[in-house]
Amino acid sequence: MSDIHSKNPRTLGRGICIITGASKGFGHALAHEVSHLLKAGSILLLVARSQSLLQELKQELQSFTEEQQLVVRCIAVDLSTREGAHETVMVAKQEAVNEMDHVLLINNAGSLGDISQFASFTDLDKVNSYLSLNVSSALVLTAGMLQAFPCRPDLRWSIVNVSSVFALQALPSWVLYCTAKAARKMMFNVLAEEEPNVKVLSYSPGPMDTEMQKDIQRLTGTKNNLFPCQESAAKLMKLLLDNEFPSGTHVDFFTV
Amino acid sequence: MSSSERADLGRALCVITGASRGFGRTTAIEMSRLVKPGSVLVLVARSADDLRSLQAELAESEAGKAGLLVKCVVADLAQMEGPESVVSASKEVFSEDLDHIILVNNAASLGDVSRFAKSFTNMAEVDSYLSFNVSSSLCLTASILQAFPQRPGLRRTVINVTSLCALKPFCSWVLYCTGKAAREMMFRVLAEEEPDLRVLNYSPGPLDTDMQLVARSRTGDPSLRKTFSDMFAEGRLLTCEASCVKLMKLLLEDTYTSGAHVDVFDL
Repeated sequence: MSDIHSKNPRTLGRGICIITGASKGFGHALAHEVSHLLKAGSILLLVARSQSLLQELKQELQSFTEEQQLVVRCIAVDLSTREGAHETVMVAKQEAVNEMDHVLLINNAGSLGDISQFASFTDLDKVNSYLSLNVSSALVLTAGMLQAFPCRPDLRWSIVNVSSVFALQALPSWVLYCTAKAARKMMFNVLAEEEPNVKVLSYSPGPMDTEMQKDIQRLTGTKNNLFPCQESAAKLMKLLLDNEFPSGTHVDFFTV
Repeated sequence: MSSSERADLGRALCVITGASRGFGRTTAIEMSRLVKPGSVLVLVARSADDLRSLQAELAESEAGKAGLLVKCVVADLAQMEGPESVVSASKEVFSEDLDHIILVNNAASLGDVSRFAKSFTNMAEVDSYLSFNVSSSLCLTASILQAFPQRPGLRRTVINVTSLCALKPFCSWVLYCTGKAAREMMFRVLAEEEPDLRVLNYSPGPLDTDMQLVARSRTGDPSLRKTFSDMFAEGRLLTCEASCVKLMKLLLEDTYTSGAHVDVFDL
């Protein structure tokens, strides 16, 4: 991991960075990591449902971000609604008044869903609601941002899909989560094929000490060996700083 | 025929979605030839007329004359009532002497293949696509499994009509690829969860259907569109019958690994 206090620190440029699900867990850790790597004049957009948690995060980042001349905006929206994604895009457009050299979109917001026997999923509305948040919103938000900040030669465009080993591996009782993660992986693979000027990375962050893991433990009795969110977030930053990954690739925490 | 290949699919209740046209229609016809008298086909689609004409055709067939019952369910699977109506119709026609439940999740749509991923800014469009192509197959399958639980003497087979698009990304096909990848994983999870259930992800190959017509005329990516239209022009599309025969063979041999992706060209 690069030393941020070294003489020539690597950065993510002067950019606009959007992080969804920023209020807790991995998204929260990403906000902290990214804020150290964005140059003066950058904008950090934190998206989640809870305005209070987002404001708390903004406060945590305050002294550092002021110093670094980073603008932090909190957008409290529910991404599973059509207004959610659109509002996020609108705010991004409003804030990006200066010349940016990097757009970094981190599609992190996600939910576990019911962990339950396959045969229990007979409620179409519930399944639709799950897929809306975990699949549709990522496509709609990404599309909106790509239209708001069209590719141009001096603009670096990076998209992260926060994925999971369960995008690849089928796990009994986890049909919703596996299905959505597999869907997202393919969705971002198609995007990578279509957009040669956009670098798309599916990153599987490993088992982290989050509320989601607490839910997993409570619902399944499985106790995983957990890593701090910060450690996984730092690995993602390294991947983005190195920028050597082939677009569309799926990288796991354990291999970084 | 190997000694382990069955001659028929038993006395079956067979539910086929998207049965009005294309691969679904052909599957209904092929199945009708392989199930024993006393079996029931439940045919699901939105088009009442197309279903009725298929029902009439099957009634006139050898199987029909030998006692095959065909029930039509006109339903929009993307609505809550859709899967529900299929399950209640299936329960109505079920009898205790049936020894095989077969569910063919075939109904699907291409989505707008003329456009690229960055144009999909309409949440309703994406939600609607996933509702029909992903959610409905999960809910229908779950409901059928609940309605006809595992018991001795009853075989249960679930088929997902999949595609190469479940495994490989194609430009301008984001919705279709995403939906197929989602379904494939869904049925892999099912296979892992239920070792007594036979789950087949069957990829039928490039078929000469209305769907292929849309693919070759509307695909946004020029080189992919050309690939499809060349296939058509050069006679390299498969008939639904040719692909279906292979599916039937897989089902009769019944040796595929549950949850595996099997492509028509693997056989």
